[in-house]
Amino acid sequence: MIFNSLAFFVFIAAFLPLYFSMKGKSRLWLCLIGSYIFYGWWDWRFLSLIVFSTCIDYFVGLQLDQTEDEAKRKRLLTISMVVNLGFLAFFKYFNFFIDSFTNMLQSWGYEGSTTSLDIILPVGISFYTFQSMSYTIDVYYRKLAVEKDFIRFATFISFFPQLVAGPIVRASDFLPQFQKERTFSWDRLTTGLGQILWGFFKKVAVADSLAPYVDQCFQEPGMFGSLHLLIGIIFYSFQIYCDFSGYSDIAIGLARVLGFDFPENFRTPYFSKNFSEFWKRWHISLSSWLQDYLYIPLGGNRNGSFGSWFFIILFYVLTVVMTGWWWLGIIGVGMGIWAYWYYNSSTARQKNLATYANLMVTMLLGGLWHGASWAFVFWGFLHGAYLVVQRLASPFWNKVLNAIKTPMFIQNTLAIAMVYFFTCLAWVYFRAPDFEVANNFIMGIASLEQFSFGAVMNKFQVVKGFLLIGLLLAVEVTDLRYEYHEVIRTQAVFRVVSFAILLWLISFFGTFGNNSFIYFQF
Amino acid sequence: MNLKKIYWIFLLLLLTFIGDRIGGWILEQIVQKSQFRYTRLYNQQAESDILLVGNSRGLMFYQPTIEELTGKSTLNLSYNSMPINLGRALLQDYFENYPAPEQVILDVTMCDRLNNQLIAGFNLYTPKSTHVKQLIRDSIPKDYYGGMVTHLYRYNSEVFQRTLNYINKSDEDWLLDRVINDYMVEEAQSLETFRITYDTSFTNELNAIKQLCQSKGTQLNFVINPYYPPFAESITNLDSIKNVIQTQVGVSISDYSRALTDREDFGDYQHTNKTGARKYMQMLLQDGILKK
Repeated sequence: MIFNSLAFFVFIAAFLPLYFSMKGKSRLWLCLIGSYIFYGWWDWRFLSLIVFSTCIDYFVGLQLDQTEDEAKRKRLLTISMVVNLGFLAFFKYFNFFIDSFTNMLQSWGYEGSTTSLDIILPVGISFYTFQSMSYTIDVYYRKLAVEKDFIRFATFISFFPQLVAGPIVRASDFLPQFQKERTFSWDRLTTGLGQILWGFFKKVAVADSLAPYVDQCFQEPGMFGSLHLLIGIIFYSFQIYCDFSGYSDIAIGLARVLGFDFPENFRTPYFSKNFSEFWKRWHISLSSWLQDYLYIPLGGNRNGSFGSWFFIILFYVLTVVMTGWWWLGIIGVGMGIWAYWYYNSSTARQKNLATYANLMVTMLLGGLWHGASWAFVFWGFLHGAYLVVQRLASPFWNKVLNAIKTPMFIQNTLAIAMVYFFTCLAWVYFRAPDFEVANNFIMGIASLEQFSFGAVMNKFQVVKGFLLIGLLLAVEVTDLRYEYHEVIRTQAVFRVVSFAILLWLISFFGTFGNNSFIYFQF
Repeated sequence: MNLKKIYWIFLLLLLTFIGDRIGGWILEQIVQKSQFRYTRLYNQQAESDILLVGNSRGLMFYQPTIEELTGKSTLNLSYNSMPINLGRALLQDYFENYPAPEQVILDVTMCDRLNNQLIAGFNLYTPKSTHVKQLIRDSIPKDYYGGMVTHLYRYNSEVFQRTLNYINKSDEDWLLDRVINDYMVEEAQSLETFRITYDTSFTNELNAIKQLCQSKGTQLNFVINPYYPPFAESITNLDSIKNVIQTQVGVSISDYSRALTDREDFGDYQHTNKTGARKYMQMLLQDGILKK
């Protein structure tokens, strides 16, 4: 079931009165059954996966609570990891691994079998798997008390507002909220409704209006002129932002109405002045998950680990093998020798290199989390490279800016523009069906051929797109500056007028074709 | 929840409703000022001798040249990706509101798709149309009733944006004004073959148009407008569709799909530019389809 469907409106209209008329255990049961109906609406067969994953982590959690034997605890954690990551590996990455292996054999001149299974990717598997894993890891490290109530635990895993596309809510943030009885609150209803409406505006008005133009651009970039493609990637950057943050807003707003507080998932990411800031503003629940459960365990910015070096070498070797660019291997050996020398030259450099390696591995795996394709890995690599280059270059860059006494406003604008430019460059690889299309797309823009508005096709979509992006940015800038959401919360007249305007805008600009959310595929 | 809060909910609903109706009314007034062909059609300002119908390819019936060559007035009802059922409904609305035209020329390659999304885009004309209104109600009731609930929704389409574009501006001479690019010319040599999907319901629509024209004594011509030649070759069932239409509707089709061969005549694979359109109109005149 998707939020922008008639089925969901019927579902929520039935769910809300029942929810607020129940209390205690019966309300938990309602949430669980409602969540399973919500998920099963898409394909009921995959409910068994969630149920199985829930059972395993529930029982692992209970066992972890009952033993102090570290070896046993480690075994239990391994069981949970193997089951969760096993599901993910099979449903999401099986064909990717098989295809990559086949390509590798073919690049060596062997006749590789091209057999792959027709596997349906269960919606939201990456989200609920990470959520479930965070529980077991936290219990293992004794950061979280075990949850003994199965229904409460199952509801935490499958809670419908954020089940299929996040935000990924940590067990330590979410489970304690089930302990308190939730009562109806007018304040929660109005603020939640505001966020839901804003989410719908972003999704059905902005993202879905930009989608047709973007789809056309990425189908065959060679057909279009430079400016047309440039507009295409600008539109895509806002399409994916509005699509995903729109979902998060609806999820957070719904949870708020129901009495739960979810963490913020997006914070005007395209106003970031550097890439570290970007990742603190984009898909915050995933980036903080990766930071806490991957980057820091790998050593963070303190030291390296066998894991990070292993992954870097693995990704590098696979890239050489998959592309067949053997010269990359020679460069890799050279880089390895340099890295070895650099690593051993001073403690500070050891720390730097370890940080770069850990950042790169985190971003590569973050890229792979999004989808089973080398394009996503490359997208992760680009962001990893941005973070590394930023760390390397920022001292020098700051010196230059200070030396020429650039006003702060210009410095900030320049920084925002640069981050946005490189983010868009990475989005090309994220969106394109393959590397060839992505490269053609970038070459098409760089060629500057037909760089005139006259050569842009579908001008009406372009005008509408920029109008909506302008509206979105105007609201976001106002909110940043004047805390618009606070005014809406406290001033009833302002709230009523804002909601009415949002409803008019959705009605006037919305696309109501039950378009799915982009992040459902992840 | 106290009574004051219920008032606020009531106020929100009332404000949303009133704002929607006022907004709808303002947009309707704006639409009336447009020179867009459909606005003129429904404003009794579109009486013409020749009606031209097609999808985006129908726009190569270049009105300034036709009027110059024949001295007759024209109305081009073509629109990008227009399906034949919408074309039929627009023709019926025209025949209902104006004296019968001398001639209708229809490019039958518009019989290649159903397009409910575009039909929904014509929601803004439902207050003034009989047949388009009925078509929307029958084929996409959700959009029809959506437009009744919220008037702003009626204007939520590209058709409305085009209407805005033609405020105090004629839409009669618009046509691609570029030459097909090198990339497309190169790609044309290796185009994959494909079939046009022809639905049997299209025959019924064409028959309805034929009967409408016959009942009013209007001459009906079916044509196939030019394609960029390698693209025409890549359509494997163009001839068989032509035969099906000729047999089942009983109107012969003048096939110009391969009539233009010069690259300079095309804006892309499926559309001529102004140069190509002028040449094509000359051909229609020479072949007696257009008459002085």
